[in-house]
Amino acid sequence: MTILYIDVLFWMRQKKWLLIALAYGAIMHYGVTPPPDLNPAAFDALIIISIALILIITEPLPLPAIAMFMLFMQVILGIDTANNVASSFMNDAVFFIMGSLMLAVAIVSQGLDKRLALAIITMTGNKTWRIIAGFTAISALLASFIGEHTVAAMMMPVGLTLVRYAHKDPKKVVGLTAALLFSIAYGATIGSIGTPSGGGRNVIMMNYWAEFGAGSVTYLEWIKYVYPMVLFQIPFTVLILLWTFKPEQKTLDSAVRKLVIDVARAGKIKGREWLAIFLFFLVFLGWVFLSEAFGLGIIALLGVFLYLSFGLVEWQELNRKTNWGVILLFGAAISIGIQMNETGAAEWVAQVIIVNLGKIIVDPAMLQGSVSVLLTGFMSNILSSSATVAVVGPIVLDLGGDKILMGYATAIASAFGYFTAVAAPACTIIYSSGLVRSKDFLRAGWKMGVLSLVSLLGLSLLWWPIL
Amino acid sequence: MTKKKPLFDPKALKFLTAVSSIEYSKPTLKMGALIASVFDASHGIVYVGEKASEFHGSSVNLTRHNLDNWNIIHPGLEVLEWALEELKKMSPENQSLAKIRFNPDHVHEEDGRVRVILPNSNGSRIELVLREGELIDQLRREIQLEHYDLAIIGGSQNKRHLAHSIIQYLPSSVFVLQKFNPRKHYKLLLLVDDSSATRKSVEYGALIAKKLGWPVRTLTVSKTKRFGEGYLGAADLAKSYFHKQGIEVEQFFLTGDPVTTFVNFAGDNHFIIMGASTLNPVKQFLFGSKPIKTLEQTDVPILIVR
Repeated sequence: MTILYIDVLFWMRQKKWLLIALAYGAIMHYGVTPPPDLNPAAFDALIIISIALILIITEPLPLPAIAMFMLFMQVILGIDTANNVASSFMNDAVFFIMGSLMLAVAIVSQGLDKRLALAIITMTGNKTWRIIAGFTAISALLASFIGEHTVAAMMMPVGLTLVRYAHKDPKKVVGLTAALLFSIAYGATIGSIGTPSGGGRNVIMMNYWAEFGAGSVTYLEWIKYVYPMVLFQIPFTVLILLWTFKPEQKTLDSAVRKLVIDVARAGKIKGREWLAIFLFFLVFLGWVFLSEAFGLGIIALLGVFLYLSFGLVEWQELNRKTNWGVILLFGAAISIGIQMNETGAAEWVAQVIIVNLGKIIVDPAMLQGSVSVLLTGFMSNILSSSATVAVVGPIVLDLGGDKILMGYATAIASAFGYFTAVAAPACTIIYSSGLVRSKDFLRAGWKMGVLSLVSLLGLSLLWWPIL
Repeated sequence: MTKKKPLFDPKALKFLTAVSSIEYSKPTLKMGALIASVFDASHGIVYVGEKASEFHGSSVNLTRHNLDNWNIIHPGLEVLEWALEELKKMSPENQSLAKIRFNPDHVHEEDGRVRVILPNSNGSRIELVLREGELIDQLRREIQLEHYDLAIIGGSQNKRHLAHSIIQYLPSSVFVLQKFNPRKHYKLLLLVDDSSATRKSVEYGALIAKKLGWPVRTLTVSKTKRFGEGYLGAADLAKSYFHKQGIEVEQFFLTGDPVTTFVNFAGDNHFIIMGASTLNPVKQFLFGSKPIKTLEQTDVPILIVR
C-alpha cells in the first residue's frame, strides 16, 4: 500500500501541470460564463488552446498526446464534427513540416558538411573574425532555403571541430566557442525568415493567409519582401557576436589546418553527393516556380520521394529520425487555429487587445504592429517559433490592417527567439553541446533582439511601402 | 540485535553514483567509489543530462548522429569516460578495472537510457549509464530498473531544495554529499530511535566506521525529558552491535526538537547516518519527516538508510 501511495504521489508530482491545466479547463468550462460577445464554441476553443499552451510549455505529456487532446476536445465540446476536425488537421503546411523534417535527415546523412567546411574555410582563411563572419553568412544563406535545423545540424560538427583543435581545454577558449556556436545558431535563425522554406512557421502563416481569405503569396514575393532584412542583419550579427564573446584567439591557424586535413580525408566530392545537391536544387526550383500550383508541402514530399527513389536515404532512417510528434502537434495546432477563426474566438481576443491597449497606443497601425511583433517575439522565446505562429497567427490576422503585412511581421518576429535555448531549433542544438550557457543567450540575445526590431521597423517603414 | 541475521548481504549490494560534470563531481565520485568498496558493492555511475525540448528533440538527435561521424561525443559520455578513468586512478590495484577500455561507439540504447558497453569488464562490477531528463525522475527509473540499494548524490548539485523529492521518491537508501570535503576528518553521527530503519542504519554505520576508521557517536533525541524504553533499548542495541564489531562508541542523549538538535549537534564535522521515516507517505508529503527536514537544514553529508 505504501508503494502505491508513493507511486501515486510521484505521478502527481510529474504530472502536476497536466492536473493544473485540466483543473483550469474544468473550472473555465463548467464554472465560468462566457462573455456576452463571445459564443460558447469560441470560448471552448480558447479553453482548449490555453490548456494546450500550458501543456506544450511545461511538457508533462509527449507532444502527440497534446495533439490528440486538441483534436478530440474539439469534437467532445461540440466545436465541430469529427470529419471537419479531421479535414482541418491535414493541410499543405503540415505536409511541408513533414517533408522538411525528412529532407533534413536526407540532406544531413549525405556528409555534405565536410564539403561545406572546406568551402567556408577556403573563403574565410584563418582569421577568427572572418571565420565567424563566414559561419554567420553561410548559415543564414543556407537556412533561408533548407531550414535552420538542417543547417545547424550540418554546421555544428564543423564549429566544434574548430573549437577542439583551437585548444585542448575548452575552458581556455570560452569566448571563441560561444562566438562560433552562436554564429551558427543566430546565423541560421536570422536566415530562416528569408524564404517560405526557411521554417515551418513561414508556411503556417501562408496557410493562414489562404484560410483567412487574405490571398496568396508566391515564393519569390516572400523573398522580395523579407530577404533584404536577412542580408542587412548578417554583418551586424557578426559585430554583435565579436563584441559580446571576444574570442581569445585572433587567428585559428593550426585549428584550420587540422580541420582541412580532416576534411580532405573525405576525398573528392562523389557522384552520390552531386546527386543529393541536384535533387535539392530541383526541389528549390519546384518551390520557386510550382508552389502556387502544387503547394510547398507537396513539393517537399516529392523531394523526399526522389531521395528515397535514388537510394540516397533509407526509409528506416527517415522514420527513426523524423519527429512525428511535432508533425501531429502542428496538424492539431493549425486545426484549432482554424476553429479560432471560424468560431470568432481569434477576432474576440484581437478586439480585447485593441480595446485595452488602444488606451496606451493611439495610432492603430502602431498598435497592430507592436502587438503582433511583441506578442509573437515574447511567445516564441517560451514556446517555440513555429508553435507561436500556429497559435498567435489567427489572432494577429484579426487585429486589423493589411493581413499580408501583419503576417510577414508575425512570421519574422517569430524568429526573435534569441533569448532562450528553447525557441529556435538552432539555439537548442548549440545548447545541447554543453559548451554554451543559458546566460550566454541573454548576453547576446538582447542585442540581437534590438537589431531585429530595428531591422523589422526599417523594413516595414522604408522597404515595404515602395514595393 | 547481534543474534539476528544481517539485514543485507554486502556482496549483493548495488550502489549508484550520480555525476553531473567533470568540474564538480570528483568528490562525489570519490566518496561513491569508497563507499562501494567498503560494502564490496557493484557500482553504477549515471550521468543525468538536460533533455532538449521535445519540439527540437529530433533536430538535436540528428545533430548528435552527425557529430558521431566527426568523432565528437555526447557531453555526457565525456563525463562518464572521465569517471571511469578517475575510478582507475583511485584503485590502481584493481586489475580488472584497469583492463576496461571506454569506447564511445560501444553504447546500447535501451529503456530510455544509454548504457556504455565496457569490454573486459567481467568481474569489475562497473556500469556506466547516460540518461536525459529531470534528475529525480531519471534516478528513480534507474534505481527501479537496476534495483540499486543506495543512490549517492553530490552536494555540488545543490540538491537541498530537492530534499523532499530525493527522500520520498527515490526507492533506495540515499546518500547526499552536501559540502563534502574528501580531505576533512569526519565523525560518524548515527541518529538512533525506535524506528524499524534504525537497525539497518546501525549495520551500515558499523561497516563504514570499521573500514574508514572514523570515530562513531550515537545521538538519541527525545522531545521530553523522559526517554522511553524504545529509545533507550535502541541506543543500547546500537552500542552493543558496535562493540561486537570492535568499534568504540560515544553515546549522547539530548532533549529538544529532534531535527534542530540533530542539525546543531552535527555542526560541520559530522557525517550523519539515519533511518528513513516510517510515516505514511501522504503524511510525509504534507508535513515532511525527520530525514526530510534534517536534509533540508544540515550542511553535512547525510546517509538515509531505507
